[in-house]
Amino acid sequence: MALWLVRRIAASAAIVVAVVTTMFLLLHLAPGVPFLPGVETPMDPAVVARLRAEFGLDQPLPVQYAKYVAALARGNFGESFALHRPVADALADAIPNTLVLAGTALLLDLVLGLALGVYQAVRTHRLPDIALGYGTLFLGSVPTFWLGLLSLLVFGEGLHWFPIGGVVDPVLYPTLPLGARIVDRLWHLTLPALTLGCVGAASTARYERAAVLEVLAQDYIRTARAKGLPERLVILRHALRNAVLPLVTLFGLSLPFLLTGAVLVESVFAWPGMGKLAADAIFRRDYPVVLAATLGATVMVVLGNLVADLLYAVVDPRIRVHRA
Amino acid sequence: MLGPMRIARLACAGLALVACNRPPGCSGDFCGTLVFVSAGEPETLLPPVLQAAVARDVSDQVFLKLADLGPSTNTIGDTDFRPDLAERWEWRDSLTLVFHLDPRARWQDGQPVTASDVAFTFAAYTDPQVNSPYRTALRWITGVTAADSLTAVFHFQRRYPEMFYDAIYQMRVLPGHLLRDVPTDQWRSAAFGRAPVGDGPYRFRSWRAGESLELVADSTFFLGRPAIRRLIWRFTPDLQVAVTQLVAGEADALEVLVTPDNVKRVQATPRLATYPYRGSAYAYLGFNLTAPGNAGTPHPLFGDRDVRRALAMAVDRTRLVQSVFGNYASVPPGPMSQLWWIWDPAIRELPYDTLQAARLLAARGWGTRDRDGIRNRGGVPFRFRVLVPTTSGVRRQYARLLQDEFHRIGVDMEIDEVEFSVFSERAAAGQFDALIQTWNTDPSPSSGINQEWTTAGIGRSNFLHYSSATFDRLVEEATATFDRDNARRAWRAAIEEVNMDAPAIFLFATQNVAAVDRRVANVTVRPDSWWASVHSWRIPPDQLIARDRVER
Repeated sequence: MALWLVRRIAASAAIVVAVVTTMFLLLHLAPGVPFLPGVETPMDPAVVARLRAEFGLDQPLPVQYAKYVAALARGNFGESFALHRPVADALADAIPNTLVLAGTALLLDLVLGLALGVYQAVRTHRLPDIALGYGTLFLGSVPTFWLGLLSLLVFGEGLHWFPIGGVVDPVLYPTLPLGARIVDRLWHLTLPALTLGCVGAASTARYERAAVLEVLAQDYIRTARAKGLPERLVILRHALRNAVLPLVTLFGLSLPFLLTGAVLVESVFAWPGMGKLAADAIFRRDYPVVLAATLGATVMVVLGNLVADLLYAVVDPRIRVHRA
Repeated sequence: MLGPMRIARLACAGLALVACNRPPGCSGDFCGTLVFVSAGEPETLLPPVLQAAVARDVSDQVFLKLADLGPSTNTIGDTDFRPDLAERWEWRDSLTLVFHLDPRARWQDGQPVTASDVAFTFAAYTDPQVNSPYRTALRWITGVTAADSLTAVFHFQRRYPEMFYDAIYQMRVLPGHLLRDVPTDQWRSAAFGRAPVGDGPYRFRSWRAGESLELVADSTFFLGRPAIRRLIWRFTPDLQVAVTQLVAGEADALEVLVTPDNVKRVQATPRLATYPYRGSAYAYLGFNLTAPGNAGTPHPLFGDRDVRRALAMAVDRTRLVQSVFGNYASVPPGPMSQLWWIWDPAIRELPYDTLQAARLLAARGWGTRDRDGIRNRGGVPFRFRVLVPTTSGVRRQYARLLQDEFHRIGVDMEIDEVEFSVFSERAAAGQFDALIQTWNTDPSPSSGINQEWTTAGIGRSNFLHYSSATFDRLVEEATATFDRDNARRAWRAAIEEVNMDAPAIFLFATQNVAAVDRRVANVTVRPDSWWASVHSWRIPPDQLIARDRVER
């Protein structure tokens, strides 16, 4: 197990290096220029040339790469071209916001998806199953930004139930005591988390429905029923335990979806997380920020998959790590 | 499961509980919280290195200039300017300008504002290490010295009409005692830029990256205590979300609504008032006069003046403006924004005349049409590509309308939509046939025209490589004329020259519309610096709403 873990971590590290290197090359080879004016005002070429020299962009690409890797090894992500601040500071502001949003959405995704899937499976081919089947198909098909905009218009502008974007109320928040600050944050979190979580939950529910149906057809379920166990116990104690396995796979698969989906949802809801930071940086050719955001996302995805692999072994005794 | 309604109720209940335990809140003339919504965030608040419009908006509240532009936006001489940090000024001789600072002025840490701060500021703005984008505006000033603690002396290299404007417009005076120790090559990312100390009507309070920024009124401000106590900018990445926040009452002001649809949406909201003002932007379809990527060779189509003139005459610009903007833009009478004092609809332009356009094209050998109706010469169709940034819905819309206009006279225009970064790169490299460009201008026509349209601007912002000795001479005359009426005439001659050469088709000059909550009184919007007069706005006590009363 320890050897497997070491190998897995080494492979993960190699993936991270490969992704960062590829991204570095792609960014520099892609058309487009950094140091754009904030509005379309004429820029003095001398000012731009000095900025390019200051950030080493006038040097050959291999030299830039070597310097970038050397700085990264020292934990230095560099300075943002556009934000006028160290990239580490920008990440420190953005990562907690993304973790809160993606974490809540992931929780919603798994819990809601599991509940819906099981509910549909035990009522298979009946009206609730069919209705939820169409509902989840619809939710799984719509783009997250569209759902986000719709929810803003309906629940924000129309019904005034939730705020229109932002992480906190900028007027009230600084004046609130701790408890009310938490309520304020949750209130702002609701719509973006629901948008991101519901789309994920729709897919999860479809996976889970199929998994539960497969398990319900097994002999040991028939045995449990034959013993006279109540149906609730059959489902919750016997069927669910095996049907939960796909969730572990989905957990690993959901992370990239959540991080990429967060790019759009963060933009729609003015949620200052990694996704919005990366999207803005891509449009502005802010190389250090794009690279750092890519690195952060890659590490999260690789770690998520590592955790998923470990969870397999924990939840399913049939799966064991063998010595190669 | 908790439904959204229940969650919302719980949230409201939680907040209400807190509100119940609060003191009654602010009342009287000096309350008020104004929430601006902005589709962008400042990169820094350190004036020499900031560029974003919202950064300028915020720093306008925190830092003062020596003097500022008056309502006429006349940039010639010094008569139309109003005192700000300097209580008065005089010319010692034709090359020496002396400012007398207001002795009451204080930095927000209590230190007096002195002439050595002014000298320090000039040194910072012109330091190559600081690399300020405004350095070129100060190129004719050889130095600034402090005659005594309240007297700053500007020395010029030459005499010209906009000396005063150059001295005061771009520079916001900085506290030397707080910035002197910051290495000049680190000003871009200086901590001061995220927590500035200024001398203006508002103090910096907090900045939550990606979320909001708050200023608070300086009750000791020497030119009078601002009536509105808190200013909050909330940042949103998207204009539509910004408008939605405004309409829903989560924000009080937005400086540019951009589209007629947004204006209608705001006008349908009784709580909001709209304020039209002259826009600082103009746009054109520019023709690359040189072959793409080869500046030494004329462009095979647009190197020909008559061809350009024919295309200019083929476009019904008035109809296009009406179609895209309704009443919120005008056809510019040349390369100019409505902000410029030289704006004059009587300037001579090429007429809209498709028959004359067709005759001109035929005379240049483009008379034959193929089966698709496209003109050709020697079997080569009249076809070109136009570069448009994907970030601008207006320009994309214009591209389609122009495509239709040109098609009617047998010219095929294909559209290349690219992201803004690629657009900028290709424009600067001359890798295009034509482009739809927008320029945001400052109030002076001199710097803009010189950079974008004269031969000296080639290699800078004259991406079209337009070069005319006559035009250059007329611009030189105009920028050297001290009398405003004569200068206006000289500018008119220069603009007419470029209009007749038709290196571009001047499409629209924006008429902006701002939206502000009706409870705010004394609202004026300055075209070149939208919220510059916020310190004189007020909210009458009987108009205060809950967020105005919040005590912090």
